Amino acid sequence: MEKQLIKDFEKSFKNSNLDSEKINLKKEFLNKFIKEGLPGKNLENWKFSDLSKIIKTEIGDLSFYNDISSPNKIDPSIYLKGMEHNSIVFINGRVEKINLKFEEIDKVEISEDFQSDKTSLDINSLVNLNSAFAEKNFLLTVKENYSFKKPLVVYHYTNKKIKSQNLNLRLNFELEKNTSLKLIDVLDDFSEKNFINTFYSFKLNEDAILKNYKLDIKNNSNIKYSFTNFEQEKNSLSETFILSSGSDFNKNEINCNLNGNYSSAFVNGILSLNKKKHHEIRTNVNHLTESTKSYQLIKSVLENNARAVYQGKIFVSSDAQKTDGYQLSKAILLEDTTEFNAKPELEIYADDVKCSHGSASGSLNENSIFYIMSRGLNYKQAKELLINGFLLDVINKITDEDVKNLIKTMIGIKE
Amino acid sequence: MKTESSQNSREKEIEKLKKYKYGFSTDIENIKAPKGLNEEVIRFISNIKKEPKWLLDWRLKAYQRLKVLKEPNWQKPKYPKINYQDLYYYSAPKSFKEKPKSLDELDPKLLETYKKLGIPLQEQKRLNNIAVDAVFDSVSVATTFKDKLTEKGIIFCSISEAIQKHPELVRKYLGSVIPLTDHFFATLNSAVFTDGSFVYVPPGVRCPMELSTYFRINASDTGQFERTLIIADKGSYVSYLEGCTAPMRDENQLHAANVELIALDDAEIKYSTVQNWYPGDKDGKGGIYNFVTKRGLCKGKNSKISWTQVETGSAITWKYPSCILKGDNSIGEFYSIAITNNHQKADTGTKMIHLGKNTKSKIISKGISAGFSDMTYRGLVDISKKADNSRNYTQCDSLLMGNKCGAHTVPYIKNKNSGSNLAHEATTSKISEEQLHYCQQRGLNSEEAVGLIVNGFCKEVLQQLPMEFAVEAQKLVGISLEGSVG
Amino acid sequence: MLKINNLNAKVGEKSILNDFSLDIKPGEVHAIMGPNGSGKSTLSNILSGKKGYDVSGEIKFEGIDLFSLETEERAHKGIFLAFQYPLEIPGVNTNIFLKTSLNAIRKARGENELDALEFLKLVKQKSKELKFDEEKLNRQLNVGFSGGEKKKNEILQMSILNPKLSILDETDSGLDIDALKTVAQGVNALRKKNNSFLIITHYQRLLDYIKPDHVHVLMNGKITKSGGPDLALELEKKGYEGLN
Repeated sequence: MEKQLIKDFEKSFKNSNLDSEKINLKKEFLNKFIKEGLPGKNLENWKFSDLSKIIKTEIGDLSFYNDISSPNKIDPSIYLKGMEHNSIVFINGRVEKINLKFEEIDKVEISEDFQSDKTSLDINSLVNLNSAFAEKNFLLTVKENYSFKKPLVVYHYTNKKIKSQNLNLRLNFELEKNTSLKLIDVLDDFSEKNFINTFYSFKLNEDAILKNYKLDIKNNSNIKYSFTNFEQEKNSLSETFILSSGSDFNKNEINCNLNGNYSSAFVNGILSLNKKKHHEIRTNVNHLTESTKSYQLIKSVLENNARAVYQGKIFVSSDAQKTDGYQLSKAILLEDTTEFNAKPELEIYADDVKCSHGSASGSLNENSIFYIMSRGLNYKQAKELLINGFLLDVINKITDEDVKNLIKTMIGIKE
Repeated sequence: MKTESSQNSREKEIEKLKKYKYGFSTDIENIKAPKGLNEEVIRFISNIKKEPKWLLDWRLKAYQRLKVLKEPNWQKPKYPKINYQDLYYYSAPKSFKEKPKSLDELDPKLLETYKKLGIPLQEQKRLNNIAVDAVFDSVSVATTFKDKLTEKGIIFCSISEAIQKHPELVRKYLGSVIPLTDHFFATLNSAVFTDGSFVYVPPGVRCPMELSTYFRINASDTGQFERTLIIADKGSYVSYLEGCTAPMRDENQLHAANVELIALDDAEIKYSTVQNWYPGDKDGKGGIYNFVTKRGLCKGKNSKISWTQVETGSAITWKYPSCILKGDNSIGEFYSIAITNNHQKADTGTKMIHLGKNTKSKIISKGISAGFSDMTYRGLVDISKKADNSRNYTQCDSLLMGNKCGAHTVPYIKNKNSGSNLAHEATTSKISEEQLHYCQQRGLNSEEAVGLIVNGFCKEVLQQLPMEFAVEAQKLVGISLEGSVG
Repeated sequence: MLKINNLNAKVGEKSILNDFSLDIKPGEVHAIMGPNGSGKSTLSNILSGKKGYDVSGEIKFEGIDLFSLETEERAHKGIFLAFQYPLEIPGVNTNIFLKTSLNAIRKARGENELDALEFLKLVKQKSKELKFDEEKLNRQLNVGFSGGEKKKNEILQMSILNPKLSILDETDSGLDIDALKTVAQGVNALRKKNNSFLIITHYQRLLDYIKPDHVHVLMNGKITKSGGPDLALELEKKGYEGLN
């Protein structure tokens, strides 16, 4: 892999207009990645999902050079219907369109500046790979006291014309004081067997509110990794909802630093998997100061050789008195071929805190099925009703009504 | 002036009281193997114990394996590198070169030691219905109540004696639960283990009394590597207790024991530990490294293994008493109280491996950390594909006292069987001001109030202990937290 | 309507019902009384089609072999079981559940399905009759309901689904006197020429409000005595032991 990496790196930045200092930093990331390689189960974080092995068996050798010199045509059918929204469209890793037509032009700024981000050198090897190859570092800034009027939808579209087996995409968001943004990520894949590596970073200043909905619904054979970092200042709020279902493999990793008093983070998710799919959600919520709050609810429904993993950690530093941390993961295994693994973790150094986690997994409750059937519904209906009820509870955690209804329609959940 | 000096002397008095109760050492002449870990030392141990060749070969095989194994380092408490060449692997009181035939032949100093520990070997009447095997440094010094047990066909003796007298049983089961190659410390133990207890309960026999081993590390620079093997044959029952103390020494001492339990069809083993090794002083100097491997195999149908532990001592505790639920309908249980204070560190928990059908496991863990200490619950529940209709319930509660200590919960949960159910709950909390106030209003001082509340927090686990131990454990819970209330 | 002939039921090696026979005609109310462990709940479970029992003998419901029907098919034919312990089903809205259930039964009977408006009207009327707090129907099924509310919810479901044979499995246990009256009222309102009831109970208390036509004493899986309403009073006085 090393040779390919170096070759593709040189090709990628041969004609780049980045100055040598930036190229050198990128080289540093590359070298670090070369040293570490793709993560495998020898790392604690990857214990339940051996990415290196999965890529090897599903894709084989990766190539990294993505030729994005020529534009792609946008098929208008990709757009979400029934909801007015702003959009950013990526096709095969290339930005094709940025449309912020519902917003005030001077309140939102998009810069393509290369950010000096040596700090992310130590996050993990995939972030290093991302930092080495990501072509552009977009930074979207929401200016003080401005709230987005309509949601911003980021379309991650791929098709068979994709030039590289590895896409690295990076987006940065800064929400200045007292702002709000609803961000919806739609993963829409027509390409096959690629490794897509995404890195998001959110900086939430005082009183900022960010809602991020990540939707991976369409069946596809890609392998995905997404790392999202939150820095949250005083009284800020983040809400993340992950609907993980479509890709063959998908790992969503969230690191959230609650730096300011009264900041809070909510992470909810559904892993609805069949046909040998293997998805993971891993969270790291760090309570670093007093009176912060986090809440996590992850539910999985598994059938036909699927495997779901949830690793969630709540860290409470000794300064973080009055922390409120809660975490629950539940899974229904519909068949014996499925597997659910969990590692819910607490690491606590302050005594005046309320922290708890819970995890439960098992089959559908036979008595509940019997009860429903005794009221005239058949087995299949009873099962669907119970799964519906099981998932509804997470969907109802979505605070945005439009998005909630959108997601309900997408996965056919009734209330 | 006067008040100050009387206050001074009072403080001194309190300091003295707070010191580790079992922190004396006994001045006894020892026979030691030369320092260091090598084939010669292993041959020395094997030779002095007159072991059969198969056992020497077994030890050497472990030693070969050890050379390629690395010390694990995934645990939370880190410790300075241990120089394994600078330890004594065998130390025995000189008077033991020929093992005493009866208690009367024991070195009076040893008897005195055990008396101080509250184990009066001679006054068996006071030890109503508990048979004791006392292990001093590396060797078993005395086993009480032997005759009464022999009547029932129960074998309870030191493992060295068992090797001589019941080699077929030892050979069949030794290493059958913890394989020779398991991990660094377990393999180290297999290579150099010196003594320990052996129990065999024949089919259908309910052991009429609690069996107990008392471990004591006395000599300095000495590692203690005992080996315990308990076999409950079909339809039998045994309850086994283990207690540990060590003298106060500035340097750290290593204790790496292996305990193997085997329960055949319809058999039940209850294993209780009250571990109170020297924890080091209040600045974290000295103390025992308690790196123990304990594992039980529910080999037969309907068998049951239940671990109960009260861990209050040691500088570092690092152990996971586990159950392999192989037999259909077998049951594994783990009840634990772990308390760390000052600079103590503990990383403890259990593994429940469900292999058979209808297997059930229950984990109740209570962790309390105070001072500058650090406590981790780490556990694994693994339900394999074939373990239909299995159940696990896990509850881990942590209590923190102050914000200089840490409490961590790291459970690994794996479910591969859709007909099985797993439930895990964990909470972290502190003693509320309201609770304290309520108790104090009723006339308790703050330490009494904390003791009361903490004992209530631990109740579910304390209830699992045999009566004689429960009282001692309750007191220990109070003592361990002394000085932690601000 | 319901004819049970020599029903035997076992769980594993343990036999629970022994040559149990019973004949319920249209419009009749039968009460089965028996001490704990006499097999009362097993009977209601078997009638509603719960799996896990080893059964032999014959049960005919309106001439059809009951064993040939699945649980939901029995519900379609008009058998309703008010559970002793109604289940909590998180995430499932009570109203939706009721509507789905009612329409499944109506469809099976060849009747047209009710639309939302018609259904709402029906529910409103029935809730009012039974003094059931309508707001609770918007909650998750039985979640957070008190014991009494759960039992009343069962009776509400019964009156909405309008079954031919209603089996009440210890519906009276754990109810205060007001709730008990409401339950009785629900049953009495449904009591018509063609509707039958099988009331399984430990105490005769409920029978003060629902007058049975026949009372049977179940002991060790067998009916040991049958009689009129007076038998229940006799039982109350003498206890189960005093009957022999």
